[in-house]
Amino acid sequence: MHIMEGFLPLQWCLVWWIVALPCVIFGIYQLKKILAADREALPLLGVTGGFIFILSSLKLPSVTGSCSHPTGTGLSTISFGPWITAVVCSIVLLFQSLFLAHGGLSVLGANIVSMGIIGPLAGYAIYRVLRDTRADIFLTVFLATAVADMVTYVTTSLQLALAYPAETGGFAGSFILFLGIFAVTQVPLAIVEGIVLALVFKYIIALKPDILIRLKVFSEERILKARGEME
Amino acid sequence: MKFRYSLEVLAVLAIVAFCALFLFIQSAVPGAEFAGSDNVGSNLIGELSGRSLESFTPLVPQWEPPSGEIEACLFALQAAIGGILVGGVFGYWLGQKNKA
Repeated sequence: MHIMEGFLPLQWCLVWWIVALPCVIFGIYQLKKILAADREALPLLGVTGGFIFILSSLKLPSVTGSCSHPTGTGLSTISFGPWITAVVCSIVLLFQSLFLAHGGLSVLGANIVSMGIIGPLAGYAIYRVLRDTRADIFLTVFLATAVADMVTYVTTSLQLALAYPAETGGFAGSFILFLGIFAVTQVPLAIVEGIVLALVFKYIIALKPDILIRLKVFSEERILKARGEME
Repeated sequence: MKFRYSLEVLAVLAIVAFCALFLFIQSAVPGAEFAGSDNVGSNLIGELSGRSLESFTPLVPQWEPPSGEIEACLFALQAAIGGILVGGVFGYWLGQKNKA
């Protein structure tokens, strides 16, 4: 989902930087607040952030005959919300643009917006809608994760289509072309990522349910019920 | 009683299906190159803008890994950092749980 360095005109680089910066700064502020209140949140941040590091380094082959990588942002979004996820994603994307020539410093803002902000926001919306319904906890994690992954790539397509409208069909025409490349490739990856992260969430519930209860990720009653079913 | 490992079974099935899909595509589409979707996207940008790919120069000077091997090494390093975090924390939690 990286937009490569130099492939986005300067004005669009600036637009996405201006969108991304306040979100990341707000995320840092939120992170400080949570960690000051509860140091035990730090290991959970380590696990959820660790999956962003691992999954976004895996380039997997997909149906379209090209490769792409999952984003891994779902768990962090559910546990800490989209703004703190944006901070973790910024670190990963900075690493990739400095050392791997994936993305770059001028397009970092655009890449943070797609992977760290819009994708997680969409996943967070799904989670918030389903959290207080009777929907299964793991189904909620699966859907939020898969949607965060898919929407990330839809956002990348949107960003590129805005910068490069097609001669015939304009913005919509090139949006569909970019979706054909990014989003279709992503469908099987998003499904597998959703299932794997739901499984990881099960292990977090098994080992450390109290931190999820304190952060009010799900209600105490539902976490203990999910835990009871494991034993 | 509900089956305890249904999620594990589902995850294994999904991963097996994913691998099977890859093998199927690889044999069904002989021309599939499995290039990165980022590169495919860049080619489309070239087509849409009518510019050659070489004319897109970095706006900010950028270091590039000198070879594919070094790039693979750095990618593995990224995954390793994540692995250390995940493994370390799960171990820490397991220790806490056993102690309690």
